[in-house]
Amino acid sequence: MVTTATPNAPATTAAVEPLVRLDGIRRHFPVYRGNLLRRHTGTVKAVDGISIAIPPGQTYSLVGESGCGKTTTSRMVLMADAPTEGDIYFDSRPMRQFTGAERRNFRASVQAVFQDPWSSLNPRMRVDQIIAEPLITHQKLSRSEVRSQVQELLNVVGLHPFHAERYPHEFSGGQRQRIAIARALSTRPKLIVLDEPVSALDVSIRAQILNLLKELQSTYELSYLLIAHNLATVRYMSHIVGVMYLGKIVEESPPIELFTNPQHPYTKALISASLPAHPRQQREEIVLSGEVPSPLDPPSGCTFHPRCPFVMERCAGDVPILKEYTPKHFTSCHLYEDGQTAG
Amino acid sequence: MTNDVILKVQDLQTHFFTRTGVVKAVDGISFELRRGETLGIVGESGSGKSMTAWSILGMVPHPGRTIGGSIEYLGENLLEKSAGEMRDIRGSGICMVMQDPLTSLNPVFTIGDQLMETLRLEYNEPRRSLRQRAIRLLANVRIPAPEDRLINYPHQMSGGMRQRVVGAISISREPNLLIADEPTTSLDATIQLQYLRLLKDIQEQTGAAIIFITHDFGIVARMCDRVAVMYAGRIVEQSDVEDMFDNPGHPYTEALLKSVPDLDTDVDTLPSIEGQPPSLDALPVGCSFEPRCPYAWERCQEYPPEFMLAPGHSSRCWRAE
Repeated sequence: MVTTATPNAPATTAAVEPLVRLDGIRRHFPVYRGNLLRRHTGTVKAVDGISIAIPPGQTYSLVGESGCGKTTTSRMVLMADAPTEGDIYFDSRPMRQFTGAERRNFRASVQAVFQDPWSSLNPRMRVDQIIAEPLITHQKLSRSEVRSQVQELLNVVGLHPFHAERYPHEFSGGQRQRIAIARALSTRPKLIVLDEPVSALDVSIRAQILNLLKELQSTYELSYLLIAHNLATVRYMSHIVGVMYLGKIVEESPPIELFTNPQHPYTKALISASLPAHPRQQREEIVLSGEVPSPLDPPSGCTFHPRCPFVMERCAGDVPILKEYTPKHFTSCHLYEDGQTAG
Repeated sequence: MTNDVILKVQDLQTHFFTRTGVVKAVDGISFELRRGETLGIVGESGSGKSMTAWSILGMVPHPGRTIGGSIEYLGENLLEKSAGEMRDIRGSGICMVMQDPLTSLNPVFTIGDQLMETLRLEYNEPRRSLRQRAIRLLANVRIPAPEDRLINYPHQMSGGMRQRVVGAISISREPNLLIADEPTTSLDATIQLQYLRLLKDIQEQTGAAIIFITHDFGIVARMCDRVAVMYAGRIVEQSDVEDMFDNPGHPYTEALLKSVPDLDTDVDTLPSIEGQPPSLDALPVGCSFEPRCPYAWERCQEYPPEFMLAPGHSSRCWRAE
């Protein structure tokens, strides 16, 4: 594969080089049938050609229904999976060409915090062991150095030094998520993948954790790749939001623009389905018929067309292209082509 | 008017008798529910909201016991019913819609088997006509091609479909009261909306009352007529939904409403509630929210009674005195 893209393109604009850039990423999973006579019967296009850039110190959020490819994307960013096609650049270096040393450096620079702090922390390990594990893997440190770093990390995430000697079951959900965050921070990462970081937590705790994450972001200039269901959380946390549907980005924009002026019908439907903040608040409810189609056999043309309330003739045939219709706001929908506006 | 009341819970106490002490999971709560009404019970994990539901169903797990109060369902005290009578009431009268569609269906039986198992309790009919009923139920919850779905196993269906099957099972015996325990947490927003609409639909068709056990004020705003906020085993505030959102009376409600990010406005920092929910075996003597409350003063060392803020709006906070 030839990488025609030039990550170090002339920086005519003073744009900051993104920390992570995905360039035309596809991840296809072959499907086989039969045991003895294994036949290749299809391909699941979990991620089908997405290009996104995560700027340093900012949050890029992916939203979309389950099965749209958010998690597959995040796995590739974590290098837990490799794209079938396309390249991911980290600090302008394609991951495919990483040397061993670069790979080790990458592993330390990219960490993850998962949804469920009940299953993401090993119940048989003490908190200090949990937090120190990545430290010991990535750095040569003396015991006392490890201990002081663990204490510092506990402090940073708002836990007490004496918590180091306890086990995960002794903590509440919010505290466990703080432990998971401390562990992610231990290697001084540049990017943290946050996969639904608060949706398993109590409501009164969520704001604490979101605020902690924001605070850490500005202190350590962290980049986040956030995957979340809750659009209000996404609005609160993000600098850029990408809306995914069946493995493609259908709309991308800064959050304020996206939520006040959504363009793609799917984004509109997602926003209309989010719960109101007040009983008198009425949303125009766009109910999509059916569920997300199988990525094994995605619809022709615009993959959203069978569920789209604004479907037109050409939608079944032509694949729409992601275009910038207003500054920094990209949409892939035929409604906006030829200067048309959606009804 | 009082005939409309289908459920009246008074001073309900469900305690857990553990080796290390008594945990007051539900500690003296009272509320009423009318036919066709939707009540939201909001609270965090450990607030006692789920135990309230289990108490109503008479299914409090060991070592818990309901030790006080009364639960009147259609004028009869459920706490005086035998286990057999309760088994009959569950399902035909009061029904639980489980939180998690994956774990509440049996993975080794087909959807059809599981639906017909419930239907057989109500209708003494041959298999073929039960099958027809099952198909109709699946069609009622808008499952496309229901006759093909009966032979599916739960893992062959999507999360949203499974949730609808669970919904179909819960309404199969036409209950008067549905208890939905966090029915939508594991669903996508669009599927969640479909599901909430389905429950509204069922409610309009059957006139059933619904209790939503949730931690999501969005669901309350979207679905409920009345709301009770629980904290550490007690109802700290109870009100009509709109009144609660307009004039939250209890500092906990107020803080909770503010700490939820809103899709339509921008804030730099969310006001968060400091501290952790209290542990139920070591509750403060006074108001249980006092350690986290920004307004706390000496009076809070004593547990506040229920103060009426407006007709139908009560709050357990000394500020309302």
